[in-house]
Amino acid sequence: MFEVRGLKYKYPNAQDYAVDGIDFEIRQGEIFGFLGPSGAGKSTTQKILIKLLKDYQGEILYRGKKLTEYSDEFYQDIGVSFEMPISFSKLTAMENLEFFRRLYKETVDVEPLLRRVGLWEDRHKKTGEYSKGMKIRLNFVRALLNNPKMLFLDEPTNGIDPVNGKIMKDMIREFRAQGGTVFLTSHIMSDVDELCDRVAFIVNGKIREVDSPRNLKLKYGKRVVRVEYRENGNVVSKEFTMEEIKTPAFFELLKTKDIETLHSGETTLEDIFIKVTGVALHG
Amino acid sequence: MAKLGILVQGELDRLRKYNLFTATTVVLLLWVGMTWLLEAGEVTAFVPLILLMDSTMMSSLLVGATLFYEKKEHAINSILVTPVPETEYIAAKIIVSVFNSLLTFLALAATAYFLKGVTFNFALVAAAVVVITAFHALLGIWFAFFSKNFSSLLVNLMLYIIFLMLPPVLADLGIIGEKIARFFIILPPDAAGTMLQAGFATVPLGRLIFGFVYLLALSAALYKYIVLPGFNQYAMRETGV
Repeated sequence: MFEVRGLKYKYPNAQDYAVDGIDFEIRQGEIFGFLGPSGAGKSTTQKILIKLLKDYQGEILYRGKKLTEYSDEFYQDIGVSFEMPISFSKLTAMENLEFFRRLYKETVDVEPLLRRVGLWEDRHKKTGEYSKGMKIRLNFVRALLNNPKMLFLDEPTNGIDPVNGKIMKDMIREFRAQGGTVFLTSHIMSDVDELCDRVAFIVNGKIREVDSPRNLKLKYGKRVVRVEYRENGNVVSKEFTMEEIKTPAFFELLKTKDIETLHSGETTLEDIFIKVTGVALHG
Repeated sequence: MAKLGILVQGELDRLRKYNLFTATTVVLLLWVGMTWLLEAGEVTAFVPLILLMDSTMMSSLLVGATLFYEKKEHAINSILVTPVPETEYIAAKIIVSVFNSLLTFLALAATAYFLKGVTFNFALVAAAVVVITAFHALLGIWFAFFSKNFSSLLVNLMLYIIFLMLPPVLADLGIIGEKIARFFIILPPDAAGTMLQAGFATVPLGRLIFGFVYLLALSAALYKYIVLPGFNQYAMRETGV
């Protein structure tokens, strides 16, 4: 869907590049997570991909054609859900959607979408009276309004309660199942882990890792199984390598001891984020 | 220009919803009331003054106000990721400003004609209102680029009006000589005043033509070299860059 080669971007009057020679691709039909600490270049990259920032170096191809060769009609193809609420506060949700709906050639019926995200009953309320979570859900509906082929989602579940968060994640998965492609940035690593087919970690404008969450966990995790059992009133912990769990010693332990917990050494995406980005080092 | 009509309609709807239209209507009613109370002879002096204020200061303020609420609500982000070129977005703001100024013109012209029997060169004044408003709407957009908030925009516009209107006033008072005063037409408020005055009294044709050509040329330059290139930067600043 997108091919990015040698992308560099420096803001006017800035000394350093915000994005410093990155390469990656977003494949059609995948959910691509773009992760990194604040100021790493995530938002800048997203703004370049959605044609808000133009004076970049390098090459970006969208569906095989240079992004610079697309006119504003490019926006017929994409939907963008920003992190912050973006609606006109004195207009109702329906008035907001109606205004934006008229700017596109192809649009969808908003009723099923609004019902799904729980805003149908409040559709005639001014969005200024909406809670933050409601505004973010409306952003999401707004992004889907033009039946896009590609979605850019910036922190789509931030500030949303778990029930609505799950609904939105289901909708994102359904969008992918119907052939849609998603570029997702989020700080909620559990969401990224649940949703993304591949993730890229960006630090100081450079990409450090691009792979599937599974492969990253294999790469950064410990290939061990940790067993905790009780012995003489104390909790004892013992680690076995993947080779050792095939040995009689491991099975003997399981049979003879009072096992309390059994964990694999698989790491979390959050730990990988900290390792790759060095956020923990900076406190 | 396929989306221009939708954008203009959207701007008008929002002016209504954000009560900006109500505010301008209240001011307009005040002007109409004052026109009604004046003698016919005073109307020909009062109406161009009001039209000058409405097409300059009010136009800049109105367009600035819409930009500030869109900035506050991050709505520009959302418009920028639709198939709407920036040129149409800016054009919609100018068209709505001109529409509002023409409403003021129509209301004042109708009051002057029907209630006071005062006639003037309606077509010339309408044309002047269009050109002056377009220029000052662009000026309002430019001022919004570097004004921190609405109060700062108001102060900047006041400074613009005071500094550029002061020399002609000093000339009227005889403090500045006539030789120098002739060149004050290069000050946009003075050029605007001359253009409007031409509909009510005799103004040298050269000065009138210069006023129109000058403000049109300034508008084109302001749009091409300042507003259009600056808009993207302004919008990006608004998106947190």
